[in-house]
Amino acid sequence: MPKLRVLIVTPERKLVDQTAEGVIVPLFDGELGIFPLHAPLIGRLGAGELRILTDGKPDAFFVDGGFVEVLNDVVSVMTSQAVAVQDLKVTAAAESLEATMGRKAAGDEMLDRREEAVRKARALLRTAKRAAAQR
Amino acid sequence: MGKTKVLDRRRRSVRNIRKITRTMELISTARFKRAMDRAAAGSAFAERLTALLGHLAASGTQVAHPLLTARTERRQAVLLVLTSNRGLCGGYNSAVLRLGFLHRKKLADEYAAVSLEVSGKRGVSAFKFRNVPVQEKYFHFEARPAFADVEVLARRFMEDYLDGRIDRVDVAYTRLESVSRQYPIVETLLPYQAPAEDENGRLHRAEYEFLPSPESILEEIVPFTFKMRLFRCFLESAASEQIARMVAMKTATENADSMLSNLSMAYNRARQTQITSEILEIISGAEALQAE
Repeated sequence: MPKLRVLIVTPERKLVDQTAEGVIVPLFDGELGIFPLHAPLIGRLGAGELRILTDGKPDAFFVDGGFVEVLNDVVSVMTSQAVAVQDLKVTAAAESLEATMGRKAAGDEMLDRREEAVRKARALLRTAKRAAAQR
Repeated sequence: MGKTKVLDRRRRSVRNIRKITRTMELISTARFKRAMDRAAAGSAFAERLTALLGHLAASGTQVAHPLLTARTERRQAVLLVLTSNRGLCGGYNSAVLRLGFLHRKKLADEYAAVSLEVSGKRGVSAFKFRNVPVQEKYFHFEARPAFADVEVLARRFMEDYLDGRIDRVDVAYTRLESVSRQYPIVETLLPYQAPAEDENGRLHRAEYEFLPSPESILEEIVPFTFKMRLFRCFLESAASEQIARMVAMKTATENADSMLSNLSMAYNRARQTQITSEILEIISGAEALQAE
């Protein structure tokens, strides 16, 4: 059975470079599972949890936007920010959601931006809670 | 008698300065390694993004975006100059500042107004010295500029550009070509020039599936590439600064070494002369006593 090579890169450093059985990425409209022999793909990521499936312990990261490219069993994830889920704090995530919800917004553009921020904060909180529950 | 004391004092002060320059050299060597790694990671990321954009273009998507369209209006230009917060780095700041001044003049001829933004204490004080008003000052970009900080800046530039408040963004920074070669350069970030199509990308192009659609990905990727380009300017400047400091401090340490050896020689010679003259005095005194 062929394996996937998973790369996660941020502008500041290369976070992950490993082989895996599969990887689940958060696309802008829902999760997508990628397994070996997947067709070439370029996708737009949303905010959410990225899970790497391996024999050993599964790794999970919170990613915030970016892109995923699949070609010849290499999955490269390009994102501006990726945090390992074990580093997330539920309380901090909840606070940031509160803060974004309470932000004042005037005009369509501002409202859109706030909605975007709220969605991100919700995804962060969801991921943090899941990670905490698994621990 | 007096001469040896003066020489000894100078020798001691040179030795102290040498300690400082040597330490600074070591510090910047350590920082340089990290800065280089970051710069390398940054360029790898940027290349991946460019490759992705190439794949999009190869799939037949029309690469069009408000950031990519050229502007004919020439009202407001922005010049961002990246300098360091600290000195003792040789010609690093003066080189980029010289270029910044020249370019500001050029922009002022072409555009109705130019707003100047400077990062780094050195740059801010240099413009202040020449009585050039600086609209925005940044001091928080140190040896390790964070992407999140640069993103804030980039987002503001993009919004201002899209709303028509600014028509051009230029950055004067130090390009890091290799460890042995860095030079100041001015780059135009906006209007954004689409990267030239990569021939290789066309050759081994694959039939990609796009989720959700090539247009939607393009809409996201263009701003991202812009942010990345700005971030790269910061990364390269930071790495160049460390290299410049390393070289400057290495030269300073070597100069201190050669100065020390010269001073030591002069000191020993002076000391010997002094001893010789003292011996002569004693001998002649003793002989004078014997003669009596």
